[in-house]
Amino acid sequence: MTTDHSQKPGHGHGQADHGHGGTGLYIKVFLALCVLTSMSFFTVSDFWPFHDTPAVGWVFMMAVSCTKALLVMTFFMHLLWEANWKYVLTIPASMMSVFLVIALVPDVGQRIRSYSEERLIYAADESAEVHGEAHEQHDATDDEAKKHDEHKHDESKKSKAHGETEGS
Amino acid sequence: MTGSETMTHHDEHGHGHLKLAYQPSLPIPNGKLCLWLFLSTEIMFFAGLIGAYIVLRFGAPSGTWPKPHDVHLVEQIGAFNTFVLICSSVTIVLGLEAAKLNRSGTARLWLLATFLLGCLFLGVKAVEYKSKFSHGIYPQAPRSQIWDRADLNYASAVRLRLAEYIAAETAKGQSGAATTEPAAADAKVEGAPPTGDAAAAPPAAAKPPASPEQAYAETLRDHLVYWAESTAARSDDMARRQGALNTLAYFIYPLHGRKPAQFIERETTLQQQELAKLNDEAQKLEKDQQRLEREQAELKSKRTKAETDNQADALKELDDQLLAGVKSSLGVAEQLASVNERRGRMAGWLKLVPELEQLKNGINEEHHHLRLPIHIPSGNMWASTYFLMTGFHAIHVAVGLLAFALILPKKLDARNAHLLENTGLYWHFVDLVWIFLFPLLYLF
Repeated sequence: MTTDHSQKPGHGHGQADHGHGGTGLYIKVFLALCVLTSMSFFTVSDFWPFHDTPAVGWVFMMAVSCTKALLVMTFFMHLLWEANWKYVLTIPASMMSVFLVIALVPDVGQRIRSYSEERLIYAADESAEVHGEAHEQHDATDDEAKKHDEHKHDESKKSKAHGETEGS
Repeated sequence: MTGSETMTHHDEHGHGHLKLAYQPSLPIPNGKLCLWLFLSTEIMFFAGLIGAYIVLRFGAPSGTWPKPHDVHLVEQIGAFNTFVLICSSVTIVLGLEAAKLNRSGTARLWLLATFLLGCLFLGVKAVEYKSKFSHGIYPQAPRSQIWDRADLNYASAVRLRLAEYIAAETAKGQSGAATTEPAAADAKVEGAPPTGDAAAAPPAAAKPPASPEQAYAETLRDHLVYWAESTAARSDDMARRQGALNTLAYFIYPLHGRKPAQFIERETTLQQQELAKLNDEAQKLEKDQQRLEREQAELKSKRTKAETDNQADALKELDDQLLAGVKSSLGVAEQLASVNERRGRMAGWLKLVPELEQLKNGINEEHHHLRLPIHIPSGNMWASTYFLMTGFHAIHVAVGLLAFALILPKKLDARNAHLLENTGLYWHFVDLVWIFLFPLLYLF
């Protein structure tokens, strides 16, 4: 019974705001989305001037993505023409998701700043420059790298012993 | 919560009749409200996934997260899929417009277009997944061939995989020979009476003609993996140890900008020098051998002379000398054999490495069936996050397609426009998630 009733305002709503939208507007939004996609694609092209500092590209791409998301929500999801209930449903969820990501940030900081011994053992190799190739180029003052190197020595000692037992 | 019930007319004369009127707390239909509530939970769901990805991506050891090309991600394909989803968002919103204007035929066409675009997206995704799988990139062991570190464990995994491959090939060769062998034996039986020797003779398959692929695997095992493993285990030079392992990993699966070119150059000169030294040593040993043979021949002639002269004392002394000579010549022969083996390995390495340097895409790409372990730093974490996020997104796309398929047969006029509106909202959300996934996965 309630559902029957509930359809009615929906219909009224649907008819009432018939003035909004329109094919022309949607096409415009579509073109804007295409342009924005090619803008984020631009960051990986050779013409992008900030290849040395990738963070610039990341921030730029995220800004572009947020713009695209806003465009989709405002026009395609009709949020522009909805009543104020839209804030009730979208803002708390968005805040929760932002908090969620912020809550993970200490982990990021923790992981980047220091390695536990255990994590170091199983950590992925650093880039090839660290081993052998251009060792002198590596920033020796970086104490994280130093720790890593020390550890490497320990490990290779271990592997040496291992190799000898294998060889004999 | 959605529809509060309010007493509008309370009959004061006690008839007990409550007349209820519907007053929605939000001016939208229940279906749409539910969908928006669902979408708000979905925002948090994907925010959790993306947040976890960011933590793992930027918390990985510096410089290890694979570049898109290292894991066969093609930006153009990702951009194409973005375009497909944006187009589908436009088509579904145009379908809704048409339905509101009671043009159900047009609405159905737009819906069909959206459905097909969604299928195209999933198809492209499937092609992408397949290319990952064919390179040994899976989210999990045992299928995943990814190793995070190029260490001794990695080298021995390569050796084991080669051994497995060679054993399988040998078995295949033997079973192939076994099927052809009886026929050959029968032919022999018909042609001539079988002799005891022919029956007892071992089958020809005992020494199978190695297929070129098997021969290649054996070359790799003897000349590349043996070198990498023994250098990594025994060399006194730490840089050389890691260099050998890195070189092995690079030849199998080259990562962009990680070619240990200097190391290979240095190692080549080292191997050439050592080979030259060993060649000298072998020459010396051969000379020794010849000298010993000459001495023994001399002793033998002396011995026959002593035998004929019947000099017992001299005979005993000569026998002792002869025995000592045989012993030392055996020792020399052993040394020579070991030197020759090392020479063979070095010559093989020196011949193999320039060939491998010519390979642009690595051994695994050129010899696909070998499926050797590959070294991609942080590759396992990458695969986990990539397949998790794109997989959940693909499931959402599939659910959207299912919803479209369910409403496609309905009459999509103004009365049913809410169906298109609700599925459309969901579809836009799926598009929205991809808008974030595309740069995060393909361009970062």
